[in-house]
Amino acid sequence: MDKLASKLREDANRIDAQVSAQLDNRIRASLNAIEPESALQRKAARRPVSFWLASSLTGITAALAIIAVLNMTDSNEPEPMPRTVVGNTAPAVGIPVLDLDIEAATLTSPLARELEDLQADLKKAEELVRGDVRIDL
Amino acid sequence: MSDELKLVEAAKRGSVDAFTELVHGYREGLFRFLQTRCTNHADAEDALQDTLINAYRYIGSYDPRWRFSTWLYRIAIRNAGRLRAENLAELGEHADDSADPLAHCLAESERDNLWRSAKRILSDEVFTAMWLRYVEDMSVRDIASVLERSASWTKVNLLRGRRALEAEMNDTAGTTGSEAYG
Repeated sequence: MDKLASKLREDANRIDAQVSAQLDNRIRASLNAIEPESALQRKAARRPVSFWLASSLTGITAALAIIAVLNMTDSNEPEPMPRTVVGNTAPAVGIPVLDLDIEAATLTSPLARELEDLQADLKKAEELVRGDVRIDL
Repeated sequence: MSDELKLVEAAKRGSVDAFTELVHGYREGLFRFLQTRCTNHADAEDALQDTLINAYRYIGSYDPRWRFSTWLYRIAIRNAGRLRAENLAELGEHADDSADPLAHCLAESERDNLWRSAKRILSDEVFTAMWLRYVEDMSVRDIASVLERSASWTKVNLLRGRRALEAEMNDTAGTTGSEAYG
């Protein structure tokens, strides 16, 4: 044994490791109060193999059923646009509510085009307000 | 069948006496080790008690292909780690995790213990690897199993720990010891 190994062993033995009678009794009492978990208990706690097989098959069947239903209902015709009534959510006091019946826009053009349109709308609205109020914003 | 395995089988059937006899030889070494891993003596006692209770409760899961001490130390390390984490969570910023846990179990005249230096300059895992190698005489394979590390990691870190402790042992000219290895 080399010098370091013997020094380490020697120094470890210097560490007091006396288990007191009190601790010993405490451990003994704790051990008497419990029972080892038997292999049978562990097996019972575990799910049987058939459980995992059955749940896997159920999952696969459910997934196939969903795919089949989606394929059956899927058609090439575009779905009708939802109709949205904008005026219903506006507050009733002060501002006249326009009962607009608007169809949702289909974003077929690129986003850049949409942005240009929105900017143009904003500019028009700004000019309109300037004309009405006659102040510079 | 060896005596140890006979005791394991009896403990599996619920014999506290057999279990007590089985762990009797390991108890002192385990407690010594736990004192190096816990922040105080009371925690080391609790960790020893928890370790033996868990070992008895789950003895059915012990695989005789492994050394019993390997299995026991694995449980002990987990318990010590859990206790330390609980202490930190409970005491928050008041917890002194850097406190020297070996100070309380060494006589004043023996404070130059190399394990104290090891605790200071090695990481927890490397410290444990060194302890299991040089105090418990465990093989690299068993140490790797206890630490849940690869054999390569264990070999490399045993070598690093060894070099660090050799340097510490030979260094008489005021080592700062702030560098952690591993």
